[in-house]
Amino acid sequence: MVKTDLYEYPPELREEFEATEAIQFRDGSSATAADVWHFMTEIAPKRYPFAYTQKKYAGVRLSRDIHLPSAIKNHYLLLTMNDRITRSRENGAPVIFVQGGQSVDPYYAAGGIALRPASVGLWARGRHEGLGLNEEVVRQHKQKEKAYHAISFEACQTAGYENIQEGGLPIDMVAPFTCLRCSDISYGVEAHRHGPNKAVKLMNIDYPMRHQADKTWAVEYFAQNLRRLTSEIGKLAGREVTDADLSKEIRLHNEGRRLAIETAELWWSADLPPTNGVDRRSLYQMGGMEVHGDPSASLTVLRESHAYIKERVNKGIKAEGVVDKPIRLFVCGSCVFPNDFRIEEAGAIIVGQDNHWSDISTLVEEDGDPYQNLAHAILSYPYEQSVEVRAAWTIEQLKKSRADGVLFLYQWGCNTQSAIARMLCDTIKRDTGIPTMIIEQHEGGSEQSEQLLNRVNAFIEML
Amino acid sequence: MSLKRNFFAGVDVGSLAAKSVILEDGKVFATGLVPSGFDSVESGLNALNLALETAGLKKEDLTYIVGTGYGRVSAPYANKAVTEITCHAKGANFLHPTVRTIIDMGGQDCKAIRIDQDGAVVDFAMNDKCAAGTGRFLEVMAGVFKVKLEDLGALSLSATELVPMSSTCTVFAESETISLVARGEKPANILNGIHHAIANRISGLFARVGITSDVFFSGGVAKNTGMKTAIEEALKVTIVKPEIDPQLIGALGAAVLARNFSKKQGLWS
Amino acid sequence: MPIKTLEVIRKRLEERPAELRKLRESGQKVVGWTGYNVPEEIIYALGFIPIRIAIGGDDRLVEVGGRYASSKNCVFIREIVGVFSENEDPYIQQTDILAFDATCLQNFRAAEVIEYYFKKDVIVLGVPRNFYWEEGKEYFGKEADEFARLLEERAGVALDLAKLGESVALYNDIRKTLKSIYTFQAAKDNVISWVEVFDLIQAGDLLDKKEYLSLLHETLAELRALQHNPIIEVDGSEGRIFISGSLIPRGDRKLISIITSVGGRIVGDDIWTGILPHLDLEIKEISPAGVALGYLNRTPHAALPYLDLESDRRLKKLHELLGEFKAQGVIYHTLRYCDPFTFKAKETKDVLAKSDIPVLEIHTEYAGSDYEALRTRLEAFVEMIKIKAESAAEVIV
Repeated sequence: MVKTDLYEYPPELREEFEATEAIQFRDGSSATAADVWHFMTEIAPKRYPFAYTQKKYAGVRLSRDIHLPSAIKNHYLLLTMNDRITRSRENGAPVIFVQGGQSVDPYYAAGGIALRPASVGLWARGRHEGLGLNEEVVRQHKQKEKAYHAISFEACQTAGYENIQEGGLPIDMVAPFTCLRCSDISYGVEAHRHGPNKAVKLMNIDYPMRHQADKTWAVEYFAQNLRRLTSEIGKLAGREVTDADLSKEIRLHNEGRRLAIETAELWWSADLPPTNGVDRRSLYQMGGMEVHGDPSASLTVLRESHAYIKERVNKGIKAEGVVDKPIRLFVCGSCVFPNDFRIEEAGAIIVGQDNHWSDISTLVEEDGDPYQNLAHAILSYPYEQSVEVRAAWTIEQLKKSRADGVLFLYQWGCNTQSAIARMLCDTIKRDTGIPTMIIEQHEGGSEQSEQLLNRVNAFIEML
Repeated sequence: MSLKRNFFAGVDVGSLAAKSVILEDGKVFATGLVPSGFDSVESGLNALNLALETAGLKKEDLTYIVGTGYGRVSAPYANKAVTEITCHAKGANFLHPTVRTIIDMGGQDCKAIRIDQDGAVVDFAMNDKCAAGTGRFLEVMAGVFKVKLEDLGALSLSATELVPMSSTCTVFAESETISLVARGEKPANILNGIHHAIANRISGLFARVGITSDVFFSGGVAKNTGMKTAIEEALKVTIVKPEIDPQLIGALGAAVLARNFSKKQGLWS
Repeated sequence: MPIKTLEVIRKRLEERPAELRKLRESGQKVVGWTGYNVPEEIIYALGFIPIRIAIGGDDRLVEVGGRYASSKNCVFIREIVGVFSENEDPYIQQTDILAFDATCLQNFRAAEVIEYYFKKDVIVLGVPRNFYWEEGKEYFGKEADEFARLLEERAGVALDLAKLGESVALYNDIRKTLKSIYTFQAAKDNVISWVEVFDLIQAGDLLDKKEYLSLLHETLAELRALQHNPIIEVDGSEGRIFISGSLIPRGDRKLISIITSVGGRIVGDDIWTGILPHLDLEIKEISPAGVALGYLNRTPHAALPYLDLESDRRLKKLHELLGEFKAQGVIYHTLRYCDPFTFKAKETKDVLAKSDIPVLEIHTEYAGSDYEALRTRLEAFVEMIKIKAESAAEVIV
């Protein structure tokens, strides 16, 4: 089907873009900026026309901040996910389905590729070429519906099932952390046992709860879980995993985490927002180094972007499409967020999110037993602590990001984040006076419902 | 041994319509279909009286009456009450003995029923509180587009594109539809999306009970051609063409059971 | 013929809240507990009065609880939160300390909400999801030690292992007697119904344990006198139903009353508020860890994921109980947003289909608005299994 009315990158941008840095991949290969430009202007519009939609509120559309190289490179990495992951897997790297908002150091240390639900969805999406926006969304809905049929209509998180069991995606292992962040995850892992794909290995990385980081036995237990995890992935990858492998990976991932923290602090310090909300989120997430299925690629883009952000902040350059003094929103809750384009049109901007940031901003001790260090760091995620501790950390982020208001957003069917929503918001209001609002998101299409966005816009007007 | 003619009636009182079928000698003799009112007893009687009037019979002429549908629990005119699941199975089997799977979409619920060669229920599943795929849901959608309920199907079949609908909950689908209209999507394309979303959701019931050919589509929604097409696509089946109004299948099954019960009780031979 | 002891138990339950108040005035403390893996013997051995928090069936309290937790929590959890908010339940009013476990993560969240909004003293026992690993068992043992330590702090005394041994012996006797009584309800010419046994089991959540054991012995003696040797066999016209799935706590009788009103006979269950937690609990070592491991090694709760279908002990136990009680159909009951069970509904149905056991899924909440819809489903299911049991054809065809 011929697609018309697609977005095109301005040709005059080519020279400037091609002068930027290459993306370095984990396997030693690289993509020059010219390669990226060629793919994004010649190939991807044909293979993935949905991303080039002109619908201005479509969540999947390309960022229009075209002078920020990371905006284009991030999309390049997302749109090449299928090509890259398929190739890496053929070269012997097992692919493991994990949870969002968790670190992935041990998976890579053992020679695997860790993909969270959204990344698995991106990989699956890449296998269906030539689809326009509506066709792509219909495809996703059909897949999701199949998972609902096999699991439960009240399931929130089904990405693993719909793609691995119903979509034939060749994932080798399902092994997420079972933290309180999402109670569906461990049931979702279990659901694979009755699916048609019997080849996929299953494992829960059991996350202890309640003052977990202060309990030596809980840290020890989680470290044992991590050891079992690396051992199992090592078997799939055909290698023995040493403590040195994990130590090396922790150091690499710490670099990403530090860089994301520095980038965030720069961004937050600026008088004028240096990027739009979509690009800001992408930059912060690159610090988790799991979003593209290739930590090295994420790191090279983040390193380069850090310099650009620094320059924009120093020179007082504001991102395109953002108002001068936007209302600054911080988003809490589960793995969803309001439509940035609509938020920015209403004169606001999302400055941060607790989801993912909780793990990205948690550095791991580099000296000593890497399993114990990693276990302790993971059990310290602020997102997974008691409400008072989580609220204290959130308040710290609110202050750093100079947020004017807090939106607590959770996905329909999310049991555990929805249950903490009021407690967290009440604590934030009690301790800071910052206004908060709790919203439930029902399953989104390419855009969010007017009902949800009306509430968000009213909140922005109130602020 | 009785030499008189034997008539058997089934009365199915649903949330939107009350239906009645009178059977004689294995043939449909007369039918009645009226909108349901607040009083389910009165609705059932109205449907029965309409069928009797059409047949030129009096209630006393009936050998046995079986009540079904949600109104079966208060049907003083009936000799026995049986659930509509059992009745739809019997009704479909009576019309088409090769039918093994029934999709019933009525005013307030939808059902997936698998049956055997005798029309006995082997397994069934029903939607929960969610109104997706019900007549009530489609009534709401007809209201949003300001078209007649019976025109929804044809309008959706005129679509040039399928607009994705993420919600099949009546309240949220209404809100989402209004959003899509506001964004300039064409009504036919949105309706196409709605019908496909419902069909996909309904196919979940079949993930529970399985699906075996032939497939029969009963209930008031079965008259909606857009829904029929969407279900055929979602389930990858061909739905058999009904010989009578598919909305009458429950009442027909009840009449078949009336005949069987009364025979077993020795009321005729 | 009515069982006299059941009347005595009903009367004692009415008197119990006032009795608890007096006991508290004399210095005793009441621990309200909830969670599949809470080792109640430890609570009892420390001199506390254990009261189980298992209340349901009140849609108003669900609504109240949802204001503090969320509408996406299961109705049981919301009602528990609502109960603490309203503080009108005569048993809940008497609780001094709460003990929750993390078997179900929504239960864990409920503990946090109750602690935060109602300023209750809550102890939480961590439960491993990898409960079948040796490392998981070791972790749980240490959590049990910590659980005991936190209770000791509140009791002001150290746990006496001799008392723990006595507590284990008492609870073992209760479990054994309950199992014997349970067999009678499923038998031919039964004088006690499943519903009566179900109520009897739940009475144990609230009564004094020693008195409860004595009442169970009296009930059993009465049953033996009236029914002699219970023989479990199928009568084609019964519609023998087994209830599986989410818990049915005190106060929630909607499903049970509909099943019986449409002519079904309940003969067994594997629910958390029924017989299941009392089966196969073997305590090999008298210590907090030893008791806790006994709990963990029982048939696991559905909230604890098990990754191999073929060796799943929960499904094995379900098959075993279906055979033992000669059930003809399973009502798989799930409460709204009860993920541990809703995620397994289709799988359970598929697994039982291989053994030609029909399953009806019932997904409900505490509101009465779906009463008629449930009645239709359950009536049709009972019709279906009766037809099947009588070799089809002749009843209706």
